[in-house]
Amino acid sequence: MSGAKRSSSSVPEPSAAGESRLRAWARDRLGWDDLAHMAEKKRVPVHRYTLFYYLGGMALFLFLVQVATGILLLLYYRPSSAEAFESVQYVMADVPFGWLIRSIHSWGANLFVGVVFAHLISVFFLKAYRAPREMTWVSGGVLLFLALGFGFSGYLLPWNTLAFFATKVGTDVPAQIPGIGHLLSRILRGGSDVTGATLSRFYGIHVAILPAITTLILGAHLLLVQRHGMSVPRSVEGKTRRTISFVPDFLMRDMVGWLAAVGLLAALAAFFPWELGVKADPFAPAPAGIRPEWYFLWMFQGLKYLPSKIAGIPGETLGVFFFGALAAAVVAVPWLDRRGKRGIAVAAIVILALAAVLTVLALLPVPSAGPK
Amino acid sequence: MRYPFFAVLFLAAAAGLAQPARPAPPPAVNGCIECHTVLDDPRITPPAKLFADDVHAKAGFTCVFCHGGDARQESQEDAHDPKKGFIGKPRPQQIPQLCGKCHSDPALMKQYDPSQRVDQLSEYQTSGHGKALARGDQTVAQCASCHGAHGIQPVKDSRSPVSPTKVAQTCNHCHGDAALMAAHKLPSDPYAKWSRSVHYRARVERADLSAPTCNSCHGNHGAAPPQVGSVTNVCGTCHVTFADQFKLSPHWEAFKELGLPGCVTCHENHEIVKPSEAFLAEGDQGKCSSCHEAGSPGARAAAAMRTDLVGLDGEIQQASRLVDRATEAGMEVSKVRFDLVAASNALTKARSQIHLFRPSAVHEAVAEGLKVARKAAAGGQARLKERDFRQRGLFVSLGLILLTIVALVVKIRERGPGPEEPGDPGNRREPS
Amino acid sequence: MESAADGHGPGAITRRSWASWFLGTSLGATLFAFLYPVLNYLVPPESSEPSLSEFELDLKASDVAPASGRIVPIGGKPVLLLKNAAGELSALTATCTHLDCTVQYRAERSDVWCACHNGTYDLKGRNVSGPPPRPLTPLEVYVRGEKIVIKRA
Repeated sequence: MSGAKRSSSSVPEPSAAGESRLRAWARDRLGWDDLAHMAEKKRVPVHRYTLFYYLGGMALFLFLVQVATGILLLLYYRPSSAEAFESVQYVMADVPFGWLIRSIHSWGANLFVGVVFAHLISVFFLKAYRAPREMTWVSGGVLLFLALGFGFSGYLLPWNTLAFFATKVGTDVPAQIPGIGHLLSRILRGGSDVTGATLSRFYGIHVAILPAITTLILGAHLLLVQRHGMSVPRSVEGKTRRTISFVPDFLMRDMVGWLAAVGLLAALAAFFPWELGVKADPFAPAPAGIRPEWYFLWMFQGLKYLPSKIAGIPGETLGVFFFGALAAAVVAVPWLDRRGKRGIAVAAIVILALAAVLTVLALLPVPSAGPK
Repeated sequence: MRYPFFAVLFLAAAAGLAQPARPAPPPAVNGCIECHTVLDDPRITPPAKLFADDVHAKAGFTCVFCHGGDARQESQEDAHDPKKGFIGKPRPQQIPQLCGKCHSDPALMKQYDPSQRVDQLSEYQTSGHGKALARGDQTVAQCASCHGAHGIQPVKDSRSPVSPTKVAQTCNHCHGDAALMAAHKLPSDPYAKWSRSVHYRARVERADLSAPTCNSCHGNHGAAPPQVGSVTNVCGTCHVTFADQFKLSPHWEAFKELGLPGCVTCHENHEIVKPSEAFLAEGDQGKCSSCHEAGSPGARAAAAMRTDLVGLDGEIQQASRLVDRATEAGMEVSKVRFDLVAASNALTKARSQIHLFRPSAVHEAVAEGLKVARKAAAGGQARLKERDFRQRGLFVSLGLILLTIVALVVKIRERGPGPEEPGDPGNRREPS
Repeated sequence: MESAADGHGPGAITRRSWASWFLGTSLGATLFAFLYPVLNYLVPPESSEPSLSEFELDLKASDVAPASGRIVPIGGKPVLLLKNAAGELSALTATCTHLDCTVQYRAERSDVWCACHNGTYDLKGRNVSGPPPRPLTPLEVYVRGEKIVIKRA
């Protein structure tokens, strides 16, 4: 499209009709012709499942919202057990629009994880992981675990009672792994118990380690998506269909969704500001009703139902192994799927239904032990 | 072989005799318990069994120290020999002196519990119970009635009938018995009334042992109702500010002249309920109207104080509701809550000023409280305004977002659907 | 409401640029609505660190007389600030441990008193007589420059 010759003259030449001088100036210096070409060439097929294509972009957008609000929160947050709670309180009460930024970050985290799950489930059922897109799927699986890691590490940062005890319970889980379990738990906690050291560690994980790893994996994921183009589900393959350009048509549609998401987050922040609770007191007994965020509830509830010993092995250890096996299975989906058989889809539906039931059970109010 | 044995025996006996003359630790055998438990008679066995757990038994005292007789004898006549001091079951009149034999002896008591008082007997003799007993009334309380006779525990022990948590029920044993009280021309409802009081709630529901029970106001061994003139002093041991103000008020002299029992005149003695501004009103709950006729200066003073206090209470409640609404809206309200606490403190102070029975004092305190309450209300309002600002801002943003979405949709539709293309086989492998 | 522009005819160009203009303007306004709170957020509020672990009082150390005490609000709760005869500052939580009345300093007895039920504490907060079941909590006080700073427990 661009026929600009590489000229060493200092006067940029407008090439395409209507191209501004500024754009031409930038083009000459940054040499983004190939990128622009790739972006313009990319087309998105339109069929009855096109709606699901938006989920990936939505997850990316929500991630960027988290990064932006997270960076803003960094300006006021203090990661020590003495000041963390108070600094979040300060942001909520005194910093102009601090309530908005913080609530968007907290609600956004939940929305982000939800959309990531939806993206994974839709990609799964549309079988977009088929060759040659296996590595896109694998990188996506890793991104899911990174997202859960963000959620788990971020949850502790306000250092309130709920977060403190939820982290205590959560970091007990890896301790169930035989052999290295206790070491793993110690590394996670920065000690044998959840303390200010845990807070420092989780902070480092949340704002440095995970973002760095995510940048790399996300970059790889997006590159792979560009490389392979949009996958078309089998049932629509081979048929004549419309396509729309990625830039600007698909992006404009994407933007509608993104704006709606921002509106939703702002409304949630205004009408349901995220709670702060009470500062954590490690010496106080754990209050009733501790539980992790909704995306961990199925694990939390499942572990409760396991008997203390199965064939001599502690129940919790088996539970942890099961989760590990599940995670491995998620990553290995492209190779587990036997062409033409529905086995994997059925297995997924069963697991999802089970997870949903466990989540609902975890949310039911606990009957109080004694008379009120 | 025999001589060393007898020498040892002699030395032991000498050592035993060389002890100072005091009630000695137990003889080797307490024959009383052996016989009485074996005989298994409902009249004489239970005390023998109970005594094993008695604080006196643990200190080394046996049956003979109170009942006399000889514990080493095997036959009943010898053991129960009156010449050996046996008195059998003591009559009620004998009991205070019997207990007082040891418990009024400072030198003796110091050997067992130096901090224990030794004036119980002399106090008892001044009490209503002591005086009645001296007149020959056998139905009144003496030591054993409250402390028990054979399984006596220290007062601190929760098993003791006179431990802080049990003392009221022990008093009620007799003082709640209608027939017994009627015979003494006393009411039988003090416990029932007290159980409806704020002091009972504090003591029993909140386990606040600083709240008064029977002995707190009536005394322990010298138990008698506080005289009319001393009621204010008694209540004033805890309620200091109120008593001080009352003594500065016109009611102090007036009540003394009229023989009215100080605080009890308005607040009752046993059924002390949470006071309210209704005490100052006309009608059933009003206390002033029983002496001050409607329209009299006293009645007008009461009305003025009531108006002031109800006004402040109302403002505080209003401010509190505002702050609660702001809290529910997620706003940060800790600074405003401090003002609410300060306003409530001012209200408490103003209420205590009632006891000066001077409207100007109440008015001053109320004015202070109003200042703070209004500040709290303003704070609550400001937070709610901030909440409204947020919601307005939200609607503006949502409106703009909606507008942009509409613009996008317009643009999308303008560009129309994409061109049709033949379906590719999909997922073709690209050369890597 | 508008049919798809087919790009022909003079009117079409007007419609296209109107739609683009509409999009550009509303997008700009929305971006401004996003930027406004963010830019305000970046400006720190007046009270630089009031709610954090330490509180700077609006009070100079020299304003407090020796052998005196006063109530100051810290994080919404009353705190008793004391200065002894030697000029040393100390602080105690001022909520009585009996029934939550606010206590006061009694100069004539150099102790802390609760007027509600005659509870008494010493200057270190220990409950010495009357109903209070627990002591008051001491808080750290120090002077930074001229201002008094009280640290949360």
